Amino acid sequence: MDPITFEIIRHRLYRVVEEAVITLKHVSGSAITNEGHDLMVSLYRADGSLLMGGVGFLHHLTSAAEACKHIIRTFAGNIQEGDVFLLNDPYTAALHTSDIYLVHPIHHKKKLVAWSACFVHVYDIGAMNPGGFSPESRDIYTEGFSSPGIKLVEKGAVRKDVMALLLNMVRSPEMVALDISSMIACGNVARERMLALIDKYGFKTVDQACRSLIDQSETLLRARLKELPDGRWEARQFLDVQGEVYRVTLAMTKKKDTLTFDFTGSSPQSPYGVNCSYWAGWGALFAPIFPLLCYDITWNEGMIRPITMIAPEGTIVNAKRPAPVSIATVGAIQSVNNVACTCIAKMLSASEKYKDEATAVWHGSHVAIFLFGKNQKGGESIGIMTETFGGAGGARAFADGIDLGGEIPNPISRMANVETVEANFPIRYLFRRRTQDSGGAGRFRGGAGGEYAIVPHDAPDGGIHFVVSGKGIQYPMSEGLGGGYPASPCSYQWVHNNEADRARNVDAKFAQSVDEMPGRKEPISWGVFPLMGEDSLFVRWNGGGGYGDPLVRDPAAVLADVQARVVSREIADRIYGVVLNGEASAVDEPATRAQRKALRAARFAKAAE
Amino acid sequence: MTKRSPPRTETTAKRRGARYVVATDVGGTCTDTIVFAVGEPVHIGKSLSTPPNFADGVFDSIKSAADAMGVSVGQLLADTALFVHGSTVVDNTLLTRDGAKTGLLLTEGFEDTLHVTRGAYGRWGGLTEDRIKHPVKTDRPAPLVDLDCVRGIPERVDYKGAVLRPLDEEAVARAIAALVERGCRALAVSFLWSFHNAEHEERVAAIAKRVAPDLYVSVSSAIAPVPGEYERTSTAVINAYAGRIARDYVNRLTELLAERGYNGTTLIMQGYGGLLPAAEAADRSVGMIECGPAAGVIGSRYLGDLMGDRDVIAADMGGTTFKVGVIQAGELEYAREPMVDRFHYIAPKIDVVSIGAGGGSIVALDPRTKVPRVGPRSAGARPGPICYGQGGTEPTLTDVLALIGYMDPEIFLGGTMRLDIEAARKAFAARIARPMGMKPDEAAFGIYRIAAAQITDLIREITVERGLDPRDFTLHAFGGTCGLLCGLFGEELAVKRVVVPYTAAVNCAFGLVAADVVHEYSVTTTLPVPSPAQAIEAIYAPLVARAHAQFKAEDIGRERIRFDRAIDLRYRRQVHEVTTPLRADVKLTDRAVARLVEDFEALYQRKFGKGSAYREAGMEMTMFRLSARALMTRPQLEKRRSAGASPKAAHMGKRRVFVAAKDGFSPADIYDFERLESGNVVKGPAVIHTPITTIVVQAGQIGRIDGYRNTIIEFN
Amino acid sequence: MTRPLSATLDRRESAGTRSICCTACGHALAAAGHPWKPAATVRERPMAGIAGAPYSTGPRVQLREFFCPGCAALLDTETALPGDPFLTDIVRA
Repeated sequence: MDPITFEIIRHRLYRVVEEAVITLKHVSGSAITNEGHDLMVSLYRADGSLLMGGVGFLHHLTSAAEACKHIIRTFAGNIQEGDVFLLNDPYTAALHTSDIYLVHPIHHKKKLVAWSACFVHVYDIGAMNPGGFSPESRDIYTEGFSSPGIKLVEKGAVRKDVMALLLNMVRSPEMVALDISSMIACGNVARERMLALIDKYGFKTVDQACRSLIDQSETLLRARLKELPDGRWEARQFLDVQGEVYRVTLAMTKKKDTLTFDFTGSSPQSPYGVNCSYWAGWGALFAPIFPLLCYDITWNEGMIRPITMIAPEGTIVNAKRPAPVSIATVGAIQSVNNVACTCIAKMLSASEKYKDEATAVWHGSHVAIFLFGKNQKGGESIGIMTETFGGAGGARAFADGIDLGGEIPNPISRMANVETVEANFPIRYLFRRRTQDSGGAGRFRGGAGGEYAIVPHDAPDGGIHFVVSGKGIQYPMSEGLGGGYPASPCSYQWVHNNEADRARNVDAKFAQSVDEMPGRKEPISWGVFPLMGEDSLFVRWNGGGGYGDPLVRDPAAVLADVQARVVSREIADRIYGVVLNGEASAVDEPATRAQRKALRAARFAKAAE
Repeated sequence: MTKRSPPRTETTAKRRGARYVVATDVGGTCTDTIVFAVGEPVHIGKSLSTPPNFADGVFDSIKSAADAMGVSVGQLLADTALFVHGSTVVDNTLLTRDGAKTGLLLTEGFEDTLHVTRGAYGRWGGLTEDRIKHPVKTDRPAPLVDLDCVRGIPERVDYKGAVLRPLDEEAVARAIAALVERGCRALAVSFLWSFHNAEHEERVAAIAKRVAPDLYVSVSSAIAPVPGEYERTSTAVINAYAGRIARDYVNRLTELLAERGYNGTTLIMQGYGGLLPAAEAADRSVGMIECGPAAGVIGSRYLGDLMGDRDVIAADMGGTTFKVGVIQAGELEYAREPMVDRFHYIAPKIDVVSIGAGGGSIVALDPRTKVPRVGPRSAGARPGPICYGQGGTEPTLTDVLALIGYMDPEIFLGGTMRLDIEAARKAFAARIARPMGMKPDEAAFGIYRIAAAQITDLIREITVERGLDPRDFTLHAFGGTCGLLCGLFGEELAVKRVVVPYTAAVNCAFGLVAADVVHEYSVTTTLPVPSPAQAIEAIYAPLVARAHAQFKAEDIGRERIRFDRAIDLRYRRQVHEVTTPLRADVKLTDRAVARLVEDFEALYQRKFGKGSAYREAGMEMTMFRLSARALMTRPQLEKRRSAGASPKAAHMGKRRVFVAAKDGFSPADIYDFERLESGNVVKGPAVIHTPITTIVVQAGQIGRIDGYRNTIIEFN
Repeated sequence: MTRPLSATLDRRESAGTRSICCTACGHALAAAGHPWKPAATVRERPMAGIAGAPYSTGPRVQLREFFCPGCAALLDTETALPGDPFLTDIVRA
């Protein structure tokens, strides 16, 4: 087709998605949608295949395609103009129940020509625990409202019975209603703009452009794969929950212009909701593929064609109903992201042309905390601690990872200001900062993760409760690359009676680190806990993985890290072999040479033991 | 926010016969001057900007205007009552990283606030979608404060403003001494919740004055008294970093003006579109950021008012950037998350969206697919487009415009530059058309269409994001490149009409004289809805008193002062806040408060869509804004009588140019703008050459010259 | 002919044989297309505390380091439990 019209339509299809995203954020008005950018809007072809993926949580692009396809199969003959379908069953297509898909068919002159799909993480879905993540659930039945496909809007009119059914099963039904409204409005805008495009250029031309766009993505990805060497790369993750450990193992094979991801050998599914269903695993695979391999290719069905996934049923990456999956998005999905990132990065490293695209793992584990309870104004507050979106960048072949640099599967997340949180929840921060020595060591250092501690403040009930669904505590999850160290793991400490003994310990109220907190520390990671009275909660999240041998890191960079408090002197000395002068204002070069020599020698000595 | 009343009396200088207002705007490339006096024609001066010694360019530009008037600079300045000025000095300091070595004091425990930029926010902020999709190649901009120049200070204030931990003054003194020792010449101070209780920050400023009197100090509660510690800190840092340069610049300029015989008031443009007396502006460097584009929007609003258009999209496309501002019902919106050079900050600033697209945007093929793209790379001013013959080798949008017949190689820029269209054609054929398998003409038409379509998409997105419909707007086209494209994208956007203003060449300077002296005040505190009128009055009373005191210090009479109040409201548990004008006279009544709430709900629905309101959660007021303005005299634009519809006298002949409706070359009428008269009507397809730009009227469109010599493009 | 295989390894061709070599010193570890880790010097240590206080991992987790037998360059790392097989990466063409 003519490249001019093609380029104009391509640009405009992208704007259709953008406009729909704006609508979603505007109408929803929730913090998780607007601050965390925990959302997705994409366009699909008439057969449900992905046409144009937007920037949002990238796991969803392909899963929502499956949602469209499922609706096409199950509602055949009953898909009318103006209908909207709701689907959130993870065993049908979704990731977990609280990420609700609304799927809008788009008709032109009575003919089904396209779909749009969107999701937001709704305020609540009626699971055992509030907020969506339900650590106490041991099966899908207790993870809240779950629909394998239901008509929510019929020919433009909301089905009140269906809406009432949904809202009857959730906490804060008004807020969930608003989330649903935002998605309906979003789909309406996508439909309106898509039809305007078809009206201007004609259905045939637009259809042809869409087909070309998909073919183009396929051609481009296959061409890129051909430029990369054939091979087979392996990666492994340990996912620890409540002291139990699960493996996610991946062998990625690249042959000519195809990629196969084989998860054979991964652990059987867990009784905890960290599992993911097939479509969630599939989506989790693509979340890193899009930005790492296809950063300059339109994200659509064409990229899916060269890719195969093998995921044995009944494993943690392809759980069987009724296994619980409500934590999937910060559970197995993230492990799939991580192993895929590592294998792709290894493959990129083996190419002269693409080696600078390689990256160690970013933000290997989320630190999901949901607060809920009465706030200082007497109202109810429910919400996620957005530090989990702070993330940490993996080190790259040409530069350090970015401290609190976010994550790969959600390119435009951010965290809230301390003042925003303190204004809305009855808590006070003791500190929030980068964690020293948290980024994986390497020639290029992994980005630092962060840590914070909170205490109740002006809480009418004496405190607040929180849901924690943590993993990555016993095992590092941000792997290093090419000799880089993995980043530090996450940590959650319930510090009891931290502030009780104020007379003897005035500064305890303003402790600057977990070590300075005098209270009794109880490691926690899973379930619902109180944050009451004089207690405090300490949370630390992982850094990004390192890249290359730490002993060849530029000593000046190590000095800068020490001065910036990202790396301790001890680690500078012991891991990087860089010795600084007394006041840490300069590198002691002879001592550094000697130390590096000694550390190299020790590498052999240790091995000989 | 303001209903504009007719211009009133002169400002402070009530002196002997001085009658001119001189406005000089320093832009990225040119420094423009506009001179006017009541009852006289407007005079214009233009010269090149002279970074980093911007003052040189200012006097060049004033001289250019004085020359046009046939007087000396000294005579002109002696006869001037008011000098209004906008400058890129702060933007330039940030761009070139030329500011002072800056130290930063933060609340202990939160030392990383600036550097971790709320997580990835500072990594992707200000990037285009293409780059966001490629995270491995993204980074934060290098920070303005080195991490080893940050110190945590023991102190803590809570969300109510209560002191939980007293300020450790000795630690402050030690930290300042250490930072000075490290070579810091400026200091930013930003403590948690300081906008509720500024005591600790003010103490630090006092201590700094004592222990390091030479240090330039900027405290967050003074410069940005609003919630959100990351943005507030970043603002204080920018203000400290560029502060000394901005202050020295303003002081030096004032001195130079005095040396050349000027003895009136000097006012400096702010990013929020208001003017401040030079002495006040000198210590608010952050206020000067992007004041040029703000002035442009103010100029556009003034012109819109004059022409009866209260809804205007102001689009400015020059060589490198495309800027869009939106005026709705005569009001301007503030940017919610302003950025400068990829740094977030928070200060009242007119919302002007700026992207890298202009005549210099490079046209290139994706080597893999042979699909053409316009930008994002730019040939900039140097080497610039191929046809400028300054060494450019890659085809740009300007080259494409030349290839499709829109530019006359002989009379470009009033004949000051000859275009080498053949060179452009050769390169375009080799690099673009041939690989695409298209004829050069066809490929050029196509790229012109792509550029117009992408501008359409961009303007649409900007308006829709603000809950507006472009069909309700008039489009003002500024800049050297806009006139060549606006007929096509204006029609596709279906705006009411397109205006290419007569003052387009000096629009920012024009905006300077259309602005008022404005002081912006705000208080961040939460009031529930409903709240009694007295509660709101109690918040405003001290602000109003401050404003009166300020104006008094500036020698501005009460009769010219107006107050505009606006309150930010939101639905509880939702994040969107909407600044809602408080429509009330001096005395606030409960009825007016009720109307405020109704207005908020209507605005919310308009902006965020039907069904977006969540009333059940209740509403609250979160910020109280006072805009205190002293009205200034406006330029009197002379309105000419119609000379009849026929443009014959200006007809230069016919030329084959690209005509969109025919999708090919077709003969078009060519006109000389200088000879077009008010009332002339030009039928498309036509090309109008002005000394500074070219206006293309597409087939089926009408170009009219109005009484102010604006060119108005209307569609059928 | 030298071509990268990873951040720390090259494939080098000389006299018709292709080998996997340490980028830093050129030491040959294995024939191209074969696993190289068995030829590396391996050190396996508990992960806990390995690179600073935040490494508060469980007691069984190990950090595996693969060194060049020629120059002691760190070629690769793995997080592993005792007895886990090496992760094997094979680059073909």
